[in-house]
Amino acid sequence: MQTKTVKVVVTGPFNAGKTEFVRAISEITPVLTERGISSEAERIKETTTVAMDFGRITVDDDLVLYLFGTPGQRRFDFMWEILAEGMLGFIVLVDSARPETFREALSILETFRAYAPTPYVVAANKQDLSDAWELDDLRIALRLDPDIKMLPCVAHDRESVKNVLLELLYSILEEIDLEEQSQ
Amino acid sequence: MKGNLKDFSGTQILNLVSLAKRTGTLDVRRNGTQASLSFQDGKLIYAAMDDDDGSLASVLARDGRITREQASVLAKRARKIGDKQLGLLLIQKGYLTRADIIRSIKKHSAAIVKQFASWQEGAFAFDPGRLPGDDRITVPLDLENIIIEIARVQKRDEQLEEEIPSLDVSLRFVDRPTVKLQDLKLSRDEWRVMKYIKPENTIRMIANRLNMSDRQIRRVVGSLREAGLIELVRVRPRERLTPEQRKEKRAIVHRLIDRIQGIGVAE
Repeated sequence: MQTKTVKVVVTGPFNAGKTEFVRAISEITPVLTERGISSEAERIKETTTVAMDFGRITVDDDLVLYLFGTPGQRRFDFMWEILAEGMLGFIVLVDSARPETFREALSILETFRAYAPTPYVVAANKQDLSDAWELDDLRIALRLDPDIKMLPCVAHDRESVKNVLLELLYSILEEIDLEEQSQ
Repeated sequence: MKGNLKDFSGTQILNLVSLAKRTGTLDVRRNGTQASLSFQDGKLIYAAMDDDDGSLASVLARDGRITREQASVLAKRARKIGDKQLGLLLIQKGYLTRADIIRSIKKHSAAIVKQFASWQEGAFAFDPGRLPGDDRITVPLDLENIIIEIARVQKRDEQLEEEIPSLDVSLRFVDRPTVKLQDLKLSRDEWRVMKYIKPENTIRMIANRLNMSDRQIRRVVGSLREAGLIELVRVRPRERLTPEQRKEKRAIVHRLIDRIQGIGVAE
């Protein structure tokens, strides 16, 4: 029997924690495509993702979930549409402690919503930092509708990542229910 | 001269009439709308389209010089004394100047002729020698500049069709607009379209919502893009699942949930 693969995309601005998120939950060492940062302005970390991060969660012999982390820098956004194709849903990671990236996060969110009208959740990452914005404030800053899930997240904590993924899957189930009711 | 605009475009007809310095009236019918354009020696002297019958009262009302109520009163008066007498009366009473009236009529004629030139199809017939009644005010309007303007607009529309080939895309605001926002002056239509710019709204959906034609919405989107305010985003239509596909998807999601819940528990 052929193995069925499904895909969830993890997106967000530069340095939001996407690579860490995939790494925390993947059963394999994620295939990371990181390179040294060339731009002085973006040198807040040593490396950045230039193609995609790729993680895997095997359910059983015939079902595998792939996690794709998008490159965060805008100049690699030509990759986004390719990654978005056929995804089950997506997660937008936001660095809760860097308000200067909120606008970019909103822009990425809207771009992905247009690529594929699939369910999504917003994960407020780095909630363990002292200067992290509170979820309610972040929701206002990101102009999120009340029905969009905004979840606390610490990307290096597996339980936290699990929770975000599970909430996305619950949203997908809710959407299936809604679609069923509308027919 | 008879035919259909499908085979001989409005601009071509106007060119022909202008170059050949023809005199007469061109009648065009399209989807229940009728336009009449009268020419003298190749110049447009009178234009009417359905309710915009070219009468002085309707022309002044359309130009905002009088209200619809005033137009209704004046139209009744004009039926007795004719447009020319009515115009003289308005000038004598000091309500309008001769220049005001000429300007309004020229504006009206140019607007109708431009609308006519945008039609892609419609039966037309040119009746040589037939001109509007003597009671009507005719103002000669050189067609050359109008034809050039129409051609320019048509070329721009063609370019827009190339730039925005499909209306099934959505729009988004750019992160850093190239235009200074304090210098920005938007038209009413542009504001109306801006209101509906959301990832889930395609251009076609916005056009339908605002009752705009494909050409109108392309012009608005084109000018907002040119101003560096918005960009196009291709949209994938929402997948409609069959009941079987939904059942399968639900089962997959449940299996994923079980698996993820188990991560780290039994390991």
